[in-house]
Amino acid sequence: MSMFFADLVVRTDEARRAFETHPVVLDAVAHGLTVERYRTLLLELYHVVWHFNPVCAAAASRLSDRHRQVRYFLYEHMQEESGHEQWVQADLEAVGVSAAATEAHAPSPFTRALVGYNYWAADRRDPCSALGMLYTLEVIASVYGGPFAAAIKDALLLEGERGISFINSHATMDAEHMADLRKILNTLEDEAAWEAVVESALINFHHFTRIIEAV
Amino acid sequence: MNAVSGVPQLLSRPYKYLRLEWTSELAMLRVRTCVKPIQCYSLAGLTEMQRVLDDIAQNPGLVRHLVLSSDVTGVFNFGGDLALFVLLVRAQDVDSLKMYGRRCIDLVWWLEHAARRGVHTTVLVQGDTLGGGLESVLPFHKVIFERSAQAGFPEVLFNLFPGMGAWPLTIRKAGFAVANDMVLSGRLFTADQLLRRSLVDVVVDDGDGENAIWDVVRMVDPRLRGTLAALHAQRMAAPITYESLLTTVEMWAETALTLTTRDLRLMERLARAQVRKAGGADEGAVEEIKRIELDTAWGELRTGNTVWGDAEHGTGLTAWGALND
Repeated sequence: MSMFFADLVVRTDEARRAFETHPVVLDAVAHGLTVERYRTLLLELYHVVWHFNPVCAAAASRLSDRHRQVRYFLYEHMQEESGHEQWVQADLEAVGVSAAATEAHAPSPFTRALVGYNYWAADRRDPCSALGMLYTLEVIASVYGGPFAAAIKDALLLEGERGISFINSHATMDAEHMADLRKILNTLEDEAAWEAVVESALINFHHFTRIIEAV
Repeated sequence: MNAVSGVPQLLSRPYKYLRLEWTSELAMLRVRTCVKPIQCYSLAGLTEMQRVLDDIAQNPGLVRHLVLSSDVTGVFNFGGDLALFVLLVRAQDVDSLKMYGRRCIDLVWWLEHAARRGVHTTVLVQGDTLGGGLESVLPFHKVIFERSAQAGFPEVLFNLFPGMGAWPLTIRKAGFAVANDMVLSGRLFTADQLLRRSLVDVVVDDGDGENAIWDVVRMVDPRLRGTLAALHAQRMAAPITYESLLTTVEMWAETALTLTTRDLRLMERLARAQVRKAGGADEGAVEEIKRIELDTAWGELRTGNTVWGDAEHGTGLTAWGALND
């Protein structure tokens, strides 16, 4: 087993902190968002979530047998994430956006850049890069999702899980995923895979920060 | 390399989170930390600080006085990077937690032996300093607090303990009972309370901290060799070993892995309060700690379940009644 997870944490720490300390993120975590901005964020998230499994599938199809453990990991992950875009849709309905409006929403250029990069990286760069996407999204969900959901709930006076079910449930669920992700990342032994994961995590942090910034 | 030629090397590095100033007549290096907007010991901030200390060590005789302060208004240091802790705990990554802890105690260890390197160390605290922030202050030879600054070890509130030198450094300066009270209560202390406990050497009115630094440095400089020899001997009289610091860090990392979702949510509450303060709000982590203590105290009153059982060592409501002790 390698210690790659520890290396990934260190090498992407600045990007994580750049996300965490972006003024828009700071303000959102401290004070929540207006309902209009929260709707916009969820609409963008809908597309990120909708494309998550196809990106994982593209990566799984391109992985060599040398990385079969990553392929199995992605299969399981896809199974767990399947249908989660409907959770986002339900939250959107709770804050006044119909399912039809959600599906008709055209994602921002920043969301397209994130999703487009992840397809390209899985297809043309290195399929292990999908793990960099997973790392970024799970860090954002498990570390920042809880405080962010609490701030949104306070700001919009939402009751229970209504309107925040996707973010709140992923804050808890992805906590378990983080431990699984660490284990699979530590099975990677080759430098090409390490570099692909680090690059992907850095780019996903960058694009995700831009998505939030534009909300 | 002679001492003077080391100055450009020391000052020319492109630091992102530190601001360095050099006063040649006193051979004084001022280091101002600015891990904005959340002033804490981030991995990058730790790396930069270690680089400064390594540069000083590689140029013996160059720096006679090292002075640390914060460039962030109202905050000296919030301590550990809470978001990083949450990430590592959720990933159950004990190795990275230990690595983070080792980086912290390497700084403490350097400061512990600064006198042996010919460097007198002074720190000015002008705002809140919590957990690892307070641990990083204690090894300095001279600790100056402005009167409104508050400090404490809140880790126990979320089921952890300060693991980077709090126990031995506090015991050595203030005694076992004070260390016990501070670490196990999670209470915050005012500058004057810390002065009475001998953890702080000088308390000055707000705004007078800069003058206090110059007073200390000008007083020490003419008798530097004797002072440093005495301070070296002082630390030999009550030694702290690297091995004990390391063992404690390992215990700290293993304890961190046992944090529950409730504990992590409390940690997130503090992190969110830090964010509010960074965003310009009047209230931050210190006020949130008080609220957590009150919540705990109300819980104890409702259930009759008190940890300490008497007012002298009590947490929460009883502790705030004792602010003037």
